[in-house]
Amino acid sequence: MGDSQYSFSLTTFSPSGKLVQIEYALMAVAAGQTSLGIKASNGVVIATEKKLPSILVDETSVRKIQLITPNIGVVYSGMGPDSRVLVRKSRKQAQQYYRLYKEHIPVSQLVRETAAVMQEFTQSGGVRPFGVSLLIAGFDDDGPHLYQVDPSGSYFSWKASAIGKNVSNAETFLEKRYTDDMELEDAVHTAILTLKEGFEGQISGKNIEIGIVGPDRKFKVLTPAEVDDYLAEVE
Amino acid sequence: MSIFTYNGSALVAMVGKECFAIASDRRLGVQFQTIATDFQRIFKVHDKLYIGLSGLASDVQTLQQRLQFRHKLYQLREERDMRPETFAHLVSAMLYEKRFGPYFCQPVIGGLDRDDKPFICTMDSIGAIEHSKDFVVSGTASESLYGACESMFKPEMDPEELFETISQALLASVDRDCLSGWGGIVYVVTPDQVITRTLKGRMD
Amino acid sequence: MGLDFSGLEPPTIRASSSFPNLQPNILSSPSFELPSVKDLDGFEKAAVEMVKPVHGTTTLAFLFKHGVIVAADSRASMGQYISSQSVKKVLEINRYLLGTMAGGAADCQFWQRNLGTRCRLHELANKRRISVAGASKLLANTLYSYRGMGLSMGTMIAGWDETGPGLFYVDSEGGRIKGRLFSVGSGSTYAYGILDSGYHFHMSVDEAVDLGRHAIYHATFRDGASGGVASVYYVGPEGWKKIAGDDVSELHYKYYPVSQPVVEQEMVEILGYPPTGNLGDCSSIPIYRNVASS
Repeated sequence: MGDSQYSFSLTTFSPSGKLVQIEYALMAVAAGQTSLGIKASNGVVIATEKKLPSILVDETSVRKIQLITPNIGVVYSGMGPDSRVLVRKSRKQAQQYYRLYKEHIPVSQLVRETAAVMQEFTQSGGVRPFGVSLLIAGFDDDGPHLYQVDPSGSYFSWKASAIGKNVSNAETFLEKRYTDDMELEDAVHTAILTLKEGFEGQISGKNIEIGIVGPDRKFKVLTPAEVDDYLAEVE
Repeated sequence: MSIFTYNGSALVAMVGKECFAIASDRRLGVQFQTIATDFQRIFKVHDKLYIGLSGLASDVQTLQQRLQFRHKLYQLREERDMRPETFAHLVSAMLYEKRFGPYFCQPVIGGLDRDDKPFICTMDSIGAIEHSKDFVVSGTASESLYGACESMFKPEMDPEELFETISQALLASVDRDCLSGWGGIVYVVTPDQVITRTLKGRMD
Repeated sequence: MGLDFSGLEPPTIRASSSFPNLQPNILSSPSFELPSVKDLDGFEKAAVEMVKPVHGTTTLAFLFKHGVIVAADSRASMGQYISSQSVKKVLEINRYLLGTMAGGAADCQFWQRNLGTRCRLHELANKRRISVAGASKLLANTLYSYRGMGLSMGTMIAGWDETGPGLFYVDSEGGRIKGRLFSVGSGSTYAYGILDSGYHFHMSVDEAVDLGRHAIYHATFRDGASGGVASVYYVGPEGWKKIAGDDVSELHYKYYPVSQPVVEQEMVEILGYPPTGNLGDCSSIPIYRNVASS
């Protein structure tokens, strides 16, 4: 980047002081499938819709929640391919940190590094901002963490948050249901109920994904069977 | 002549009960010629973490400046002090970066971990870490120091006893080495205080 | 194969060797068997490296109005290792002659003892003590005969004879120099510094002893290979006398009493660093250590 006369920055200020490219990116996120996260007292849960364009798609090949380190997982709303670039870069950052200090990267540091990459893509020449927002969930020495990172590179730590389609409904629902002393099991139930709120069609273990991390610091993506068990509990 | 013995040095760290001590001589020489007797080889990284660097004086200073830089950056970025073990791995990584043109230093690291558990280790000039439960030594007087520590060390010493032991071990060892001595300095680090004392030693 | 140096012997000794049964070879200069190797030079070079325990040394001697001062440190080192702190480097050849030791300990000890024997024989044969010039020449001739064969000596022969005080520098390269002030060994340059700035021919014995001691002390401070005890001898009309044997570490604290040490500027800066640095924690108390006196 930067060695061609055409590699000027595409993200330029509009006369009113906005970066419309970033606003378009946020619109791409808002059009994406709903994802949400809840930080409980003893862990974090992140969940997302997994609606597939056709019933012919093999749903077992689609994974929307991914691990960055054994104790940190991430989910996205927006453009899948863009998220995979970020996941790849984040994993590399995490490994570089471990290589240097022989200590697992704290969630806050990983989020900062990831956000820095996203910010760089709002200011560099020849690139466009990422069309995704991320929810990063992890458990480290300082306890459970839930972060949201936006295409602009700004990031926030949440008790509970939602991104993608139907955000406002989901957020209202979460505000109603959230309590500070909530435990991980309750949080999973709340997450399912929140997804169910705005869900078109029948919810099942095959069309949602759930990832949890507890005090054992092992981030786990639940299998469809496990999700079905939780769904049965919620019913 | 090895470049490691160009300036001369003696460095030792010992573990005590909920504390550790790190000590060094104070000589700076050029081969057999004594240039200064107030040279600093032990550096504070933060309240509960110290590093001693034996070997070539110029590399000692360069390396400690780079380490201080890296630690300050870490403090700003992560809003916390580095754990001793994490710091040891940082030092190791920075040394191995120069695998084919190393810093001529053998570091000794002493620190109190988050639960105030003492930690000491040493490494060679290209970053191979060597952990120890009792004591570590380095420098031109290292052979003598091994002997002295081997016979004087006891587990679970309190800070005062630890100070006495490490001081006697250091002073006895440098008396058998032409290139180190000329006084010493000892730091005893406990969870709530650091005792720093300069030692009066033989000046030959 | 041996070397015959009988031609170098004084005539009296050679004459006595005509009574073979009465006088065994004690009267002739010892001759040593040479190793039967092809490359003798190379062999000797390698051997020299193995027989040099007192390579690091400071010795000095100087003439003044009332006689000669001879002084030395007492450290023996092998490379950077200190093998002894109590070596006697001023060799007492007889009541009027002293020799100093620098280089190979064995070479110095052997040849100066041999020199003592020959000086005594000179006395018996001539009914008068040998001159310092004569004694030093005996040694120089012997060393010259072994030149290039690996002996390692840098010695000063000091004494008092019929002409008054005498001082010669003799080394294993065959050199023999008469002089007023010498210093030999790795610490010699430091000793010269003190000697040259403090020397006056007309000083008193006490002043001269102090100068010699101070020069040795200073050399032990600066030179890593010198240390231990500063021995000072005075040679006067009545022969030599050992005046002092002071631990140089005690001398240091006599010359430079300990003041409250100042923590270096650099350290203060680091100590003062946030987040929770507390200068009040650090005391700076000098610790006094018992140093065995000699």
